[in-house]
Amino acid sequence: MSLNKIAYTALVAFFSVVLTLLATGLLMGRSTEPATTADTLRPIGAEELATHNHRDSCWKAIDGKVYDVTSYLPEHPGDEALTLDWCGKDASAAWHNKRPGQAHSANAALLLQSYLIGQFASATAAAPPRQVLTTPQGTTGTSSRPSAKVLLGLAPGTYLDGIYRGHFSDRGEMQVSLQFSLREHRMHDIELRYLAYAGVDYLKLTEEHPAYPVLLQYRQSIAHLEGQPLANLFDLYEPGKVVDDIDAFSGATLRASKVISAVRDALNRGVYQWQ
Amino acid sequence: MPRKVEPGDLLLAMLVLAPLAMAGPRLSGLQGEGVVWLLALAGRITGVLGLAALLVTAAMCVRLPGLDRWFGGLPRLWLLHRHLGFSAFILILGHVLLLSFAALPLSLEQALRVLFPPLSYAPIWAGWLALAALIGALAPTFQVSGIHYQRWKRQHLLSAAALLLALLHALPVSPERAAWWLLSLLALAAIAWRKLLAPVLARREYRVAQVTRLAADVVEISLVPKHKGIVHSAGQFIYLTPQDPSLGAGCAEEHPFTITSAPGAAELKLGIKALGDASLALQALTPGSRVQVEGPYGQFFARRAPQRKQLWLGGGIGITPFVSAARYLAERPDQFTHVVLFYLANRPERAYYHDELERIASAHEQLSLSIHYFSCCGPLSEAFLREHCPDFAERELYICGPPAMLEYLHGLLATAGVDRAFIHTEAFDFL
Repeated sequence: MSLNKIAYTALVAFFSVVLTLLATGLLMGRSTEPATTADTLRPIGAEELATHNHRDSCWKAIDGKVYDVTSYLPEHPGDEALTLDWCGKDASAAWHNKRPGQAHSANAALLLQSYLIGQFASATAAAPPRQVLTTPQGTTGTSSRPSAKVLLGLAPGTYLDGIYRGHFSDRGEMQVSLQFSLREHRMHDIELRYLAYAGVDYLKLTEEHPAYPVLLQYRQSIAHLEGQPLANLFDLYEPGKVVDDIDAFSGATLRASKVISAVRDALNRGVYQWQ
Repeated sequence: MPRKVEPGDLLLAMLVLAPLAMAGPRLSGLQGEGVVWLLALAGRITGVLGLAALLVTAAMCVRLPGLDRWFGGLPRLWLLHRHLGFSAFILILGHVLLLSFAALPLSLEQALRVLFPPLSYAPIWAGWLALAALIGALAPTFQVSGIHYQRWKRQHLLSAAALLLALLHALPVSPERAAWWLLSLLALAAIAWRKLLAPVLARREYRVAQVTRLAADVVEISLVPKHKGIVHSAGQFIYLTPQDPSLGAGCAEEHPFTITSAPGAAELKLGIKALGDASLALQALTPGSRVQVEGPYGQFFARRAPQRKQLWLGGGIGITPFVSAARYLAERPDQFTHVVLFYLANRPERAYYHDELERIASAHEQLSLSIHYFSCCGPLSEAFLREHCPDFAERELYICGPPAMLEYLHGLLATAGVDRAFIHTEAFDFL
């Protein structure tokens, strides 16, 4: 058989094997994506994690995610005692230092994903999950405020998923009260519960009222935050990029700052209600 | 292919094995056990060897007169190029499957994720693209029917893209950087020389002095150098690039042709049979037009046993290297031991160099000429060979002709008990 034919035969065999693997994977009803995606991850606390600390059920928290690696334990190369030692704990440090200073390989990271079972929800969790910070277009370079990353860094703690309520009060009265649901560090279902200034209940204003555009500005600010990462809250420091200056009505900056303040108040108070 | 190991072969072997030698400590430290460990290790070894073989194969595309002798001549170098290239291809296919199989005991899902990771795993996808480019570069060789020479050469350039993508695939995951850079440099320099520099620097200008028709589809063209001509020995070939706009095909395309003039002759002569578009067009080459010559290459008449008498077997247009050697014999008989030349032609009018060869044979006792016609007597038989050259098994044999003839003669000579080490062949195929 000539070389050409051998190579051609090898190529056909190669594609047959790859296609067989693919077809089997699809027909067995298992997608090639991780079974659990970030949206559906169950929060797992440190107490629950700690109960899975042995060979028969070994969970490990790594970079804010929880993995059930029980079935992989027999396959894991290296010192078994050391591997078992990290069951039921936050093993991020061990993961990133397979040998001192040397992290696990990309292949290992791929493998790990298949054992993902939940989100590590602990007040002592090492770090919140890394998130992509989005900044509104045009704000880079010209903005006077510090970056959202810095501002978020200044905010204390890691925020657990749940429903939050917060207020802004000034001059002896509550001016803004709002509620939102936090999931994966993103704000959802933001709602104004109370809005007043100088004794006027803004939520009850009709369209004819001269102060009605103020209510609209609040609503635009809130709509801007819907579904966004927490860091985008600070976009409101530049409300010109967020709200229309309706009827040349000024004071948008002041009002946006009140929303920021109320949201941060909510975060400081902690979860109001578990979802 | 001659079984003798040439000096250049050792260099090639060292280059191919260098990255693996460097990766040795890393690979021997690979953790795991059992079949999974074996598969993972084999997957890595085939990957390292495959890329090294691919890069060395690319470096072997270089064409430098003189350098090819380290490898036993250009045809042998390109046979090696072909063998190593196909080996690299098969190693790379194995590399992909072995690594995927190594993950199969964990789960099918994991095996698939090794093959098709998320898009952000760029090196893996660069690897797939490299494989696709490699398949594209080899695709013409997979087809059963004939291959268009120039189209093949153009499409084979896809292998350069395959090289670059393969490096993007391997460099991020393989720490043997020094070896990869060395081999990449050799490969890219070879491709750059061959495709960009050689056409300008390595070609010499000649003028067509005469075009002599030998048969309906065979001409001998005589060339005169404009400045300094090439220096060749018998049995070598050159690449001819005609610059004659009136040609029906192949103007400014290079094709290889065997030299028929004796070494040192004033005119460089080439015997050209119409085998494809370009060689057909050359039958009508205009005397006085410009051509370029690159070479010479090959060492068909290398001696393995200089004390032995010689037997030459030339079939069809494969007679050309022997014409050059016979013409040289006519001038310098002292350079030759006794030679028997078998001219294997289809019928008398296809034996286009017969008259001239017979003149040389009758004038010089070193050369005996026997002619054999296929049309009357079928393929050459051992009886015919023994009748005209009883001591053929004690001679050093040189065979040139179409592949089918070579295959037939190899079978015949093996049956007759001729030691293969004393047979030199040159196929007129794909060079």
